[in-house]
Amino acid sequence: MSCNFPEKISSLIDGELSATEAREVERHLLSCSECQQLHADFLNLRTQITSFETSPQPEVQNRALKKILASSERGVPARGLRWSFGTRAIAFASLLIVGEILGLVVYFNLDTQDKNTAVVQAPSPMPVATAEPSVDPSKQPDTKATPEPNKENTPRRAPSPAPVKRPPVREPKPGEQFASNPVPPERLRSADAETMTALHFEKSETLLRSFRNVRMDEPGAAAEVKYERTHARQLVVQNMMLRREADASGDVQSSSLLESLEPILIDIANLPDKPDRDAVRTIRERVERKNIVPLLRVNSTALARALD
Amino acid sequence: MASEDEEFTMLFQDFYPSLCRFLECLLGGRAPLAQDLAQESFLQLHRTAWGTMPVGEARFWLYRVARNMAINEFRKSNTRYRLFDRVVEVMRPRARNPEQEYETQERNAMVLEMLQTLPEDQRTALLLREQEQLSYREIGQVLNISESKVKVDIFRARAALRERWNRTLGISRSSHKDAKVQTPYLSLRALAAKSQ
Repeated sequence: MSCNFPEKISSLIDGELSATEAREVERHLLSCSECQQLHADFLNLRTQITSFETSPQPEVQNRALKKILASSERGVPARGLRWSFGTRAIAFASLLIVGEILGLVVYFNLDTQDKNTAVVQAPSPMPVATAEPSVDPSKQPDTKATPEPNKENTPRRAPSPAPVKRPPVREPKPGEQFASNPVPPERLRSADAETMTALHFEKSETLLRSFRNVRMDEPGAAAEVKYERTHARQLVVQNMMLRREADASGDVQSSSLLESLEPILIDIANLPDKPDRDAVRTIRERVERKNIVPLLRVNSTALARALD
Repeated sequence: MASEDEEFTMLFQDFYPSLCRFLECLLGGRAPLAQDLAQESFLQLHRTAWGTMPVGEARFWLYRVARNMAINEFRKSNTRYRLFDRVVEVMRPRARNPEQEYETQERNAMVLEMLQTLPEDQRTALLLREQEQLSYREIGQVLNISESKVKVDIFRARAALRERWNRTLGISRSSHKDAKVQTPYLSLRALAAKSQ
């Protein structure tokens, strides 16, 4: 380029020149065909770059916004949500593999131990250690001299105040290998998670029923909401953990219910000391609209039945 | 709290699409990753800086954070993410008719290809100028560089793209004097034909 105007032409099309400079460049453009071409090419480039079209789908955009607003409160990275399924799936798969390896090791150890016991105590073979409640610990032969206090008085199935029945976990005897329980670890974990989910559903249902019955007409309404708010704060954390667990184990039903429940719990937990009627009414309406109380009831009952 | 969230929602609705576009151009495509990074930028804004800075500043803050994230992605870029992005892109539902979609894709691919030839700082400055229409001062604020550096970067970016464009079309500068200015769409078509 013979003249030294190109950089100024770039600034001209960006509107970054002073009026005097702009006039000078424009005058030059009238007489210099190379600069005219440059000017035209720069404008063409602009058109091409601005023609780049991309727009996220509205639902993607709305989902992103919801995640940001929700996860800001929860402290969960937004991007993590997108990758969380994969990460959790990998974590869960790793856990299963480790569980299987442990199971195999335990199986072989148990086998060896059985054989050894059979050699040492042929007349009274070692009972197979299981988690079945039918196994009476008092009838097990005491291979060691260590006494077991109160074993005879131990009931077969310990009475539990929890509505969901779980198989009791037998305490290992002193000297007995801890890992001799043949129940696979992942099954235990799953049962625990399901039990916790069922209990969580029940607690949440109670909370939402209680929240639905809060009286806002009385002057002491703020004090009444305080109870629900405290409980909601406790339940939010548990809800997050259980939702992740349900996601990882592929329990879509529980996961979606927990996902619907979470923003409601967060809203209740975030209510101010003296909430106005509208705030409470809005949450109540959302609870009603989502029909979440009956869903919680149905799901907690179903889970409890499945665990029986 | 509610009004803050409303303001944030308005800002999000206004700038999320353009931030996605900026990131997509910066990353050379990879729309799902661009959307992720845009979302993460907004999340950081909401968590850390929202409420403490003027709304007008938030836009520049967003572009600065988004650009840093994109640079990090360049560094740790790996095949798995690219493959995943492509799968997502292929599976993405498309509402428009196939011809229109094809043309848009073709045009987008050409723009991305051109931009990828530029150094990252020039590309960012040019994108902020051309797509986001920021002034030199604002670009300097986003990139934390002086206005004169912005001016030089943008000019160099344009000059490099122009040269590449002309070289691809086989037009020498001497014979370019009388060349008729082509429409952008025709230029892209010609460029596409040449590259094939």
